[in-house]
Amino acid sequence: MIKATNVVKIFKSRAGVVRAVDGVSTEVAPGEVVVVIGPSGSGKSTFLRCINGLEAFTDGHIIIDGVDLADKKTNINKIRAEVGMVFQQFNLFPHRTVVENLTLAQCKVRKRSKKVAEEKAYALLKKVGIHDKAGEYPSRLSGGQQQRVAIARALAMDPKVMLFDEPTSALDPEMVGEVLDVMKQLAREGMTMIVVTHEMGFAREVADRVIFMDEGKVVEVGTPEHFFTNPTEERAKLFLKQVL
Amino acid sequence: MIATDKTWPWKLLLVAILLVVAAGTWGAVQKIDYQWRWYRVPQYFLYHAEDPQKIPFDGVVDTVKTSGKTTKVSLISENEEKLTLTIATDTLRVDEGEDLFEGDTVGFIKEWRLGPLMLGLWTTLWLSAVSSVFALFLGLATGLARISKNFTLRGLAMIYVECIRGTPLLVQIFLAYFFLGTVFNLSRNVCGIGALALFAGAYVAEIVRAGIQAIPKGQTEAARSLGMTAFQTMVEVILPQAFKKILPPLSGQFISLIKDSSLVSVIAITDLTKSGREIITSTFATFEVWLVVAAMYLLITSVLSQVVYYMERRFAISD
Ligand SMILES: Nc1ncnc2c1ncn2[C@@H]1O[C@H](COP(=O)(O)OP(=O)(O)OP(=O)(O)O)[C@@H](O)[C@H]1O
Ligand SMILES: [Mg+2]
Repeated sequence: MIKATNVVKIFKSRAGVVRAVDGVSTEVAPGEVVVVIGPSGSGKSTFLRCINGLEAFTDGHIIIDGVDLADKKTNINKIRAEVGMVFQQFNLFPHRTVVENLTLAQCKVRKRSKKVAEEKAYALLKKVGIHDKAGEYPSRLSGGQQQRVAIARALAMDPKVMLFDEPTSALDPEMVGEVLDVMKQLAREGMTMIVVTHEMGFAREVADRVIFMDEGKVVEVGTPEHFFTNPTEERAKLFLKQVL
Repeated sequence: MIATDKTWPWKLLLVAILLVVAAGTWGAVQKIDYQWRWYRVPQYFLYHAEDPQKIPFDGVVDTVKTSGKTTKVSLISENEEKLTLTIATDTLRVDEGEDLFEGDTVGFIKEWRLGPLMLGLWTTLWLSAVSSVFALFLGLATGLARISKNFTLRGLAMIYVECIRGTPLLVQIFLAYFFLGTVFNLSRNVCGIGALALFAGAYVAEIVRAGIQAIPKGQTEAARSLGMTAFQTMVEVILPQAFKKILPPLSGQFISLIKDSSLVSVIAITDLTKSGREIITSTFATFEVWLVVAAMYLLITSVLSQVVYYMERRFAISD
């Protein structure tokens, strides 16, 4: 489904050169749930953003469903429609109602009729448990509700993969659960997911594989069981000691 | 401390200050012995015109049919041509059977007509409106060019904005009229509208640029991550939000444009200001006319402010 080989992303700024992602290779099979963890600044977000082209990587290849993002001829908009993304800050469109947030890209990108798009939107809102807020503007919703709308918005495009970048980090603690529940349900339904998160409980329960990153590199890969009980790398051990 | 919200003393003070200013002005005017002629002003808004209706040939009055306020006069020329003129009954000057010579007045048509102040107001309004529309599109295009990734576009936009903001509008109007107007053979209205639109466009561009940049990056990223193109993202997500933010400065710019349009009177466009000047040459009611002209500008700009205020409240529902 997704195959990354030797992905490198270098940021050049006045402060100097940062190798945010430094030769990451990994493969994600259909239906697999991969959790990416690592300390702050380790390049998790940058790697995730490379997968849907929000960040143009410096070197390497990312192949999604047989299409290489490094290929100049690739239509990135087509890829993005297949790769849903959920952000830490929700990024709902504040000038549109909840249901319009869900229908906008369906109509513009998938060229669905308004009626079809709305049916899809209501079904998804029901699934994430906020169909009664369909006509509200995002600012009237709690953080947890907004993030669930954001997930529904990404799902409305019928993506083949879902990327989550710390989807619960901006939430009040009591709202984390409701968002994780939606994600767990998605995982159970067989969605291919790459999740950057600090929720170790979620990683343990849902992940098929855990990738630990540090300083732009993949340091350790393994099943949650392996990773949380006896990691081999020193840096992973240190990190786990700090977060658990 | 307990909060007090007694406002009446301050309202009273405001009224008192305004009264003092008014009294002071009145007193000062008394001293210079100015003859106020307010009664001369209304006719420049609206007047009752009387157009003489003349017979175009030598002939006879055939019939005179009066019905209420209008009268129909049928005329027959020496070579049997017939003509019917309609005039106001109380201005009838001929009788049935009367012989008339070419050019004799049969009567008058009475009609309410807009005076120069209203015509000037109309010119100012449409001139500002047309310039505003051009300025909006020009400003939008330039604002987008200012933040584009393309160096050439950015450079062009920046040079345009800097040149316009660094020179006086009056000089730009002269340049547009005497230089561009002569070279490209443009009418004065085109030059006036062009100069105003170019001027306001540069400021609108800066407002648009700031408005777009004020929208969080996450909005673009969310839209693009859904597969929307850069253009769709701009039109559907960024601009609607930016527009809401820039509505107050934008409306300020258009209010300025209305006021700045008074400068086109220097290239002989008969706008409100020029009408005022023309009326003064025939009435010498200098104070009255300028006061009236000022009040008329104030009226348009306040109406516009109110409209914008209403729009802002409409847009606020998604906050
Ligand atoms: N646009 C950018 N310009 C320059 N440097 C950047 C940019 N984005 C990220 N970086 C740098 O790249 C490195 C990786 O950042 P990234 O956001 O991917 O880390 P992260 O693992 O997601 O961290 P966190 O857990 O705090 O979100 C950091 O050192 C960061 O400073
Ligand atoms: Mg991050």
